[in-house]
Amino acid sequence: MHLRRHFLPSLLLAALAGSPGLAAPDEPLPKAEEILDKFVEATGGKTAYEKVHNEKTTGTFEYLGKGVKGTVTSYRAEPNKSVSIIELEGVGTLQEGTDGTTAWESTSLQGPRVKQGEERAMILREATLRAPLYWRKLYKRVETVGAETVDGQSCYKVVLTPEEGKPETQYFDKKSSLMIKMMMSTPSPMGEVPIEILLSDYKEESGLLRAHKQHHKLLGQEFLITLSQVEYNVDIPSDRFDLPADVKALTAK
Amino acid sequence: MIVCASIACAQDATTEQKRLNRESFEFIWSTIRDQYWDPTFGGLNWTAVHDELRPAIERASTTGQARQVMRQMINRLGKSHFGIIPADVYGDLDEHDEAAGTATAGLDVRVLDGKAIVTSVDEGSSAARQDVHAGWEILRIDDAPVTPALHRIAELDGNSTMRELHLARSVLAKLSGAAGTVVRVEFLDSAGQRVTKEIERSEPPGALARFGYLPPMHVWFRSRRLGSDIGYIAFNLFLDPARLMPEFGDALKSCAACPGVIIDLRGNPGGLGIMALGMAGWFIDKPDQRLGTMHTRQAPLKFTVNPRLPTYTGRVAFLVDGCSASTSEIFAGGLKDLGRGRVFGTRTAGAALPSAIDRLPNGDGFQHALADYVSESGRPLEGVGVIPDVEVKLTREALLAGRDPVIDTAIEWIRKQR
Repeated sequence: MHLRRHFLPSLLLAALAGSPGLAAPDEPLPKAEEILDKFVEATGGKTAYEKVHNEKTTGTFEYLGKGVKGTVTSYRAEPNKSVSIIELEGVGTLQEGTDGTTAWESTSLQGPRVKQGEERAMILREATLRAPLYWRKLYKRVETVGAETVDGQSCYKVVLTPEEGKPETQYFDKKSSLMIKMMMSTPSPMGEVPIEILLSDYKEESGLLRAHKQHHKLLGQEFLITLSQVEYNVDIPSDRFDLPADVKALTAK
Repeated sequence: MIVCASIACAQDATTEQKRLNRESFEFIWSTIRDQYWDPTFGGLNWTAVHDELRPAIERASTTGQARQVMRQMINRLGKSHFGIIPADVYGDLDEHDEAAGTATAGLDVRVLDGKAIVTSVDEGSSAARQDVHAGWEILRIDDAPVTPALHRIAELDGNSTMRELHLARSVLAKLSGAAGTVVRVEFLDSAGQRVTKEIERSEPPGALARFGYLPPMHVWFRSRRLGSDIGYIAFNLFLDPARLMPEFGDALKSCAACPGVIIDLRGNPGGLGIMALGMAGWFIDKPDQRLGTMHTRQAPLKFTVNPRLPTYTGRVAFLVDGCSASTSEIFAGGLKDLGRGRVFGTRTAGAALPSAIDRLPNGDGFQHALADYVSESGRPLEGVGVIPDVEVKLTREALLAGRDPVIDTAIEWIRKQR
């Protein structure tokens, strides 16, 4: 699936890709802590984030150039519950989620599966509501490692190392402080899959800016997720984050 | 509509069409340059191929000629799963299924010992109503003899693992056409008599399924018991997973106590590779078991099986032939390598590269392999195929006698364990 990063909070934001350029010589690099805190401010500020207790996003999925399309719906609630549902034409339903403890997926292609280790850790991180506020808790180390140009925009390049899992690299536009690109290695039963995500089309909802386009590139293939609606503090059924029956059966095994 | 489309292909392309054809040529070349899993192209100088063929695409005065140049380019790689799908296939299928020529004569065919032999007849088809039987030999289709074309293909393919697939497809293509049209077929029947049947073509069995830019295809799934205790599962494509995956699981669950199950992949050309993983999950109870590994240019992807509950623990027999390709090979070959299945029949097509289909600027489809694939045993399937544990060939005599020696051998193996 390799889609889960798009379910990351407002942390994910926008821009177009391009050839990396070189930082101006002798340019002082700000600390990563400063860049990440600026990102919170740029996307709405701590007060706006703290008003969010759950969210629902809806949108579309497209396997670019291959004619495969679908819809995406995801729910998240505090502290770190999530469910994402992708309905793909010609394929069926792909679901992924966590109740805050068990991370799972269930697809029409391969059935249910409980995620362990780094896979589980990644899902739990991504499920964290208001994640931009909690980078100090989610990552054990953050470091500004340079400056690069991404599609003509000068960016700071920040490497974030989680407690469990591989480091992630995020690119923040120097002018807007928005994240416009991220790169990571996604753990999966198929192995580590390197992914690049370009974030663009920031739009405001309830005082928070959110990237509405997420362009995923992996293994020479490209996917586009376009959010059509972002809603905060909506009515979500209390059992929405319960484990599906087939996943529950696996945990009871 | 097909006829019109074919005429259009032969007509001089407009300036705009020529430009789009040139763009398509460049798209194909650069896609392969950027995505072919082996950056050395197996020793082929890919830039030189471009420079050599570019003048030919400039000269191509029809879209048909341009396609030939593009095919010439991708054929230099010598790999399966590279091809051009003419634009009219999409147009016709999208707008008017019947005119697309997807209707069949209700016959499945294999070329056995150089002869086109009917291996099955669809229930309820025009052919079935006219008492055409498995084992009959096809001599002529619409008054054209079949054998010369088979000889030409056999000679062209030499020892290629794809020969059986190409031979069968050449006959089936001649039998296909628009629904409601009639194909005139001369057979040699079970008594050795020449008989001619006017067979009305009809849409093939199954539901029409679509996935991306693959042309829409009919997908069917069948399961039943052989005797009272052996499960039998067959399906013609690995597509339409929302329907097929539950049907496959249900068929196995209903046969949980069966000592064995037969999965008939003969004639199945593949489809979505990941469906093989999903299906394999019903036979594997341990994590981290792999059917094989897909090698892209960027990273290897392990085809790891996700175990399903309840695990089917009986014997698993796969039936394959030279028309079993791609995902069929990944599925049968992988479970064979894991010691979880025994393979019966004849060698598969050796065409097992994961691929995708893009639309070209000129509207054609471009299928291109994204990765190499190595089965869990460490052997590539491409150009090699799955070698059966037990080689069993279909014969005209057995078919005429109403027997299927491949199924019979698999049943015997399953019953031996009892």
